[in-house]
Amino acid sequence: MSNSKARLHLVASWAGFLVIILVWQGISTLGLVAPETFPGPVRVAESVVESLSVGRVLEHVGTSLFRVFSGFGIGLFAAVILGVMCGWYIDFGTILRTPIELLRPVPPLAWIPLAIMWLGVGESSKLFVIFLGAFFPIFTNTYKGMMTIEPNVIRAGQMVGLRGWRLLLKVVVPMTLPDIATGMRLGWSYSFGAMVAAEIIAANSGLGYMIMHGRELGLVGVIMFGIILIGTLNMLTDYVIQSLILKRFLRWHYVPEQK
Amino acid sequence: MKRSTKYLGIPRDAWIRGITMVILLGIWEGASRLGLVSQLMLPAPSKLAATLGNLATNGFPQGIIVFTHMRVTIFRILQGYLIGAFVAIPLGLMVGQIALLERAVNPIVTFARSIATISLLPLAIAWFGVGELSKVLLITYAAFWAVLTNTIQGVRSLDPVYVSVGRMYGARGVKLFFRVILPATLPRIFAGMKIALGLCFMVIIGVEMVGTVQGLGALIQQSRWFYRTDIAIAGTVLIGLFGLAMSLLLDFLERLLLPWAVGLEEVER
Repeated sequence: MSNSKARLHLVASWAGFLVIILVWQGISTLGLVAPETFPGPVRVAESVVESLSVGRVLEHVGTSLFRVFSGFGIGLFAAVILGVMCGWYIDFGTILRTPIELLRPVPPLAWIPLAIMWLGVGESSKLFVIFLGAFFPIFTNTYKGMMTIEPNVIRAGQMVGLRGWRLLLKVVVPMTLPDIATGMRLGWSYSFGAMVAAEIIAANSGLGYMIMHGRELGLVGVIMFGIILIGTLNMLTDYVIQSLILKRFLRWHYVPEQK
Repeated sequence: MKRSTKYLGIPRDAWIRGITMVILLGIWEGASRLGLVSQLMLPAPSKLAATLGNLATNGFPQGIIVFTHMRVTIFRILQGYLIGAFVAIPLGLMVGQIALLERAVNPIVTFARSIATISLLPLAIAWFGVGELSKVLLITYAAFWAVLTNTIQGVRSLDPVYVSVGRMYGARGVKLFFRVILPATLPRIFAGMKIALGLCFMVIIGVEMVGTVQGLGALIQQSRWFYRTDIAIAGTVLIGLFGLAMSLLLDFLERLLLPWAVGLEEVER
């Protein structure tokens, strides 16, 4: 690709965002819609500065991130261990997968009412829903990875004298990592969505609460700011997790992308 | 490693699964009857069966029977889903063919997909109220981006050889599009629509928990105010079955309509 064409593409990738922001500001400057219902970017910034402090926003961000990382972490841990065990001990897998496969089609958000009745409105019910969001996709992918390992790789491991636990940890689990990574990405987006939903439906802190509270006060600017913040956080964390996995733990698996 | 042993003509795995289910239900029923777990927290399966029957005849809340909830949920999903897909498919087909446009749209799509649809709920309520319109629009949003990404990707990853061969046979313009590009992109579009439907189903359950008494999400959320764990569990089970039925139906449709599509399991969500 020629240099000028590459530059043109770079410009285009920013132009899209710029056009959206300009149209957004244009609508509000021309006064097409009442600013209370549809504030422009400038008005959004103003209303955020008026009604929120940096400290408050950071507090909500911290609470939300802490929730989603804890729930996701527990889910990842449980799903990988159980997924590996289900793939290693076939009969154990058949038994354990019976209830898991039955619960899997239930979307994470559908657990919210039950979680609240079982665990109360506190932190644990939110963690439970976030946990479920991560658990099912990671479990399914881990198990799938275990079941689709090339048998020759296992035989090669046995040939060099590995068996039992050492075969599992040195050969089988590393071979499953790419599938675990796939599950993690899916699980992260479910966990994140579950966190926002749980905070919108029943919470008094966190980003979901912040935007729901903004609605109660009729501050559309705060809601818009919150949505953009949630989107940005989700995108950044997803990016960090993915590049961490791809560039550090799975460097051996992926051929570096050619630019 | 293949264990195809059969007992009485039933595979071993099926036996293990069946026995596991019976034992689990037995423990649950027994624990509940003996009072090892609170009847209030985890009602016995027999109680849940009665609850299900009650939901089908008397309904909850205020005489809304469970079939009404299902119909309302299906109708909401279908409206938003179809609107989203019908807008996204032509748009994606267009954007995918123009490299520069694809560049410009790509960051927007990535960002829009990062916004959890449920986080738009307060904004939708502020703009359109708590009525049907906000719910349908949120479903539209969820469906739109998933279908759009996959349609664009489908066009982008089209093997150029197909187009060359089509041209060689004299197909160009509209004919090239309908005979070559569209059929080759369809499997990917369908994959996107499948992902989108799953997303819509997740979103609708959350959306229905705010400001409505109709729909499956509303059913389980309302049960919370009356502390009816039996209704919440029965409702959650129904939602699970509903989701399962939906994904089975889609798999079936895919095999029926797109027999030439293979190896799409690896499509990135």
